[in-house]
Amino acid sequence: MFFNSLAFAIFLPIAFLLYWFVFNKNKSTQNALLILASYYFYSCWDWRFLFLLVFSTFLDYYTGIQIEKGKSEGSRKFWFWLSISVNLGFLGIFKYYNFFAVSFADLLISVGLKASPILLNVILPVGISFYTFHGLSYVIDIYYKRIKAEYNFVDYSLFVSYFPLLVAGPIERATHLLPQVKVKRDFNFEKAKEGICQIVWGLVKKVVIADTCATYANAIFDNYTSMNSLSLILGAIYFAFQIYGDFSGYSDIALGVSKLFGLDLLRNFNYPYFSRDIAEFWRRWHISLSSWFRDYLYIPLGGSKGGIWMKIRNTFIIFVVSGFWHGANWTYIAWGFINALYFLPLLLSKSNRNNIDDIRLKFNFDSVKVIISILSTFLLTCIAWVFFRAKTVTDAVLYLKSIIIKRDFGFQYLDNERYNYELILMIGLFVLVEWNNRTKVEPLSGKRSMLRIALAVGAIIAFGTYSDYKEFIYFQF
Amino acid sequence: MKRFLIYITKIIAIIILIAVALDGLYTAVFLQSKNRGKIETIFNSKAQKYDVVILGSSRANNHFVSQMFEDKGLETFNYGISGGHLFEASLMLKLMIERKYVIKNVILEADLNLSNDKESEGVSAKFLPFIHNSKVIKKHFLTLENFNELYYLPFYRYIKYDSKIGFREIYKILKNEPTNALNNLGYYPLEKHKKGNMKNNIVNLNPLPHNKYYEEIKSICKDNNIKLIAVMTPMCENVTGMYYFEKVKKAYPEIYNYENTVIENKYFSSCGHMTNTGAKIFTARILKDFFNK
Repeated sequence: MFFNSLAFAIFLPIAFLLYWFVFNKNKSTQNALLILASYYFYSCWDWRFLFLLVFSTFLDYYTGIQIEKGKSEGSRKFWFWLSISVNLGFLGIFKYYNFFAVSFADLLISVGLKASPILLNVILPVGISFYTFHGLSYVIDIYYKRIKAEYNFVDYSLFVSYFPLLVAGPIERATHLLPQVKVKRDFNFEKAKEGICQIVWGLVKKVVIADTCATYANAIFDNYTSMNSLSLILGAIYFAFQIYGDFSGYSDIALGVSKLFGLDLLRNFNYPYFSRDIAEFWRRWHISLSSWFRDYLYIPLGGSKGGIWMKIRNTFIIFVVSGFWHGANWTYIAWGFINALYFLPLLLSKSNRNNIDDIRLKFNFDSVKVIISILSTFLLTCIAWVFFRAKTVTDAVLYLKSIIIKRDFGFQYLDNERYNYELILMIGLFVLVEWNNRTKVEPLSGKRSMLRIALAVGAIIAFGTYSDYKEFIYFQF
Repeated sequence: MKRFLIYITKIIAIIILIAVALDGLYTAVFLQSKNRGKIETIFNSKAQKYDVVILGSSRANNHFVSQMFEDKGLETFNYGISGGHLFEASLMLKLMIERKYVIKNVILEADLNLSNDKESEGVSAKFLPFIHNSKVIKKHFLTLENFNELYYLPFYRYIKYDSKIGFREIYKILKNEPTNALNNLGYYPLEKHKKGNMKNNIVNLNPLPHNKYYEEIKSICKDNNIKLIAVMTPMCENVTGMYYFEKVKKAYPEIYNYENTVIENKYFSSCGHMTNTGAKIFTARILKDFFNK
């Protein structure tokens, strides 16, 4: 059940009406309804994996309580490591086992040994990377005594399985979401209105921007050997907007849907392509994952304290693990590695927190510098996206090499029966709208909101891509 | 909550209004489309006179050289559509009759397409802009599972088939950008392709014993005194399962089997599609056999 499907368009109003009109007596009935709705939502993907979700929820719930109750450090450690190893074990088996088996076999073959890896024929449970990280952060926070364990199983289950964030985040923190589910929610018109605006804008990003860019990006990436330099450059840009529109669109819809139920989720994107350096980009892109890795991996490793080699080690670890989190493929690892290379000079020169203020442009030289830094950051990001999108690292390198070697910047007719340049105007318009509204969560609220919504709805209906239907990219992670 | 319900109602009203307005706008644009494709051309045309009308899939579109008929004094147009099934061929003929075309002969490519009586999504979509403006089209689509959505939901058909009849197509119609569909009197010549697929396996293909749309075309022709010439057109040498054509002959004895008229691979662009040279050899044979020309 995708957010942009007819099934969801039926499911959401039913859940909404039941929540506010039938199950609104107290927070327990509200939470119970949301749990039922969430499990139904999840079972629409594959009901068999519902057991895995429930088991994972129960494991973290139970180990959390045992850690808190643990009288000795040994007992606390036992429950802590049990939870960590089972959670990561599931993730490892379902997501990474085949990758490691094949890579190990390749290594043996490369040194002249025979190897035929035993592979598992399993499909990746939807959202496993997301709900595993929910559970991990909860257990880690209890172990380090940052939060108290949750004793109400329904409330805890809702924190893990809440349907707007279940399959593709944002990766919530117990400190943020649990306090909200512990109290009865009263209907708030302004919040619900904000939610609707965010849903509509999320749909614009998904069906108008991401899915349209996808047809061009696919046509270019899938045939990159026959593409000229201009097509290859545009292919990287189209993919940059595809993945941004897709994932931030999903996040907007998730946040908007959640607001309809009176719950605020963590903001996941903050106009990342307007970043002035890579450090700022990572403060604005997939914020919930970046901050998760910062708090639960980077800082425990020593962060940026320690010596120079410690800083370099920690930076590479966090970016490579972050890349690997996206999928079991060398391309994601390369993507993480490249981002670490981008980030390192900023960290070592202590300029990684230079751009934390709002962007303001005036008619002066400083503004020109800002525009150049935004464009160069975007360029670096696009180069890294080529690795993220390509099938293999070799393909990515050849793709980038072809841009330089071919030196042909003419218009080209693509496999999707469109010219390579056709989307530039639409992307330009989208960037302009986002730029003018960069201080807001989305551009539809505020003055003349109804007119803005009407224009957005018009764009969704008239310019959306539907026949070449695409699911959200991050669902595979 | 009451305020919110009013707010949502307003948004739903906006969605419906936009959908209705866009539906009207898109349909109006399609109603004046002239040089984009065969379907729009027929729909927006007035009565025509033809000695020969050619119908079928790409195996009609690429195989019957209309100019050769014209050169022999026969007013001809090739209305074969690449990817089309008999569902669309039948509807095209119905539209021609609705527009009072006077047709003496219909040459129908009836071979591989006899194996199904479903619509070809990509081609049938081209009729949908006109579904509210033609009883024939409405009736023809009535049997489809999603007829109600396509007919009653404003703009749904343009969303569902956006790559065929969506915004880009509208833009091109407004720009008056022609396609090559109407060039060469509807015939589309193919060249020899190095990468052309010269192998074809049709072992599992079976003609339907009573193809609904083939029977429909037969009865339309009978009712309107049109001579129907149904033919099987050539395939290349490497086809596995050539028995299919005998199965067609058994089920439909009136269909002429020309599968063997041209066989050598050099005359084929891909296994099911002849080159321009192959098409000329084949058309000459048809002219000789059916029109004594």
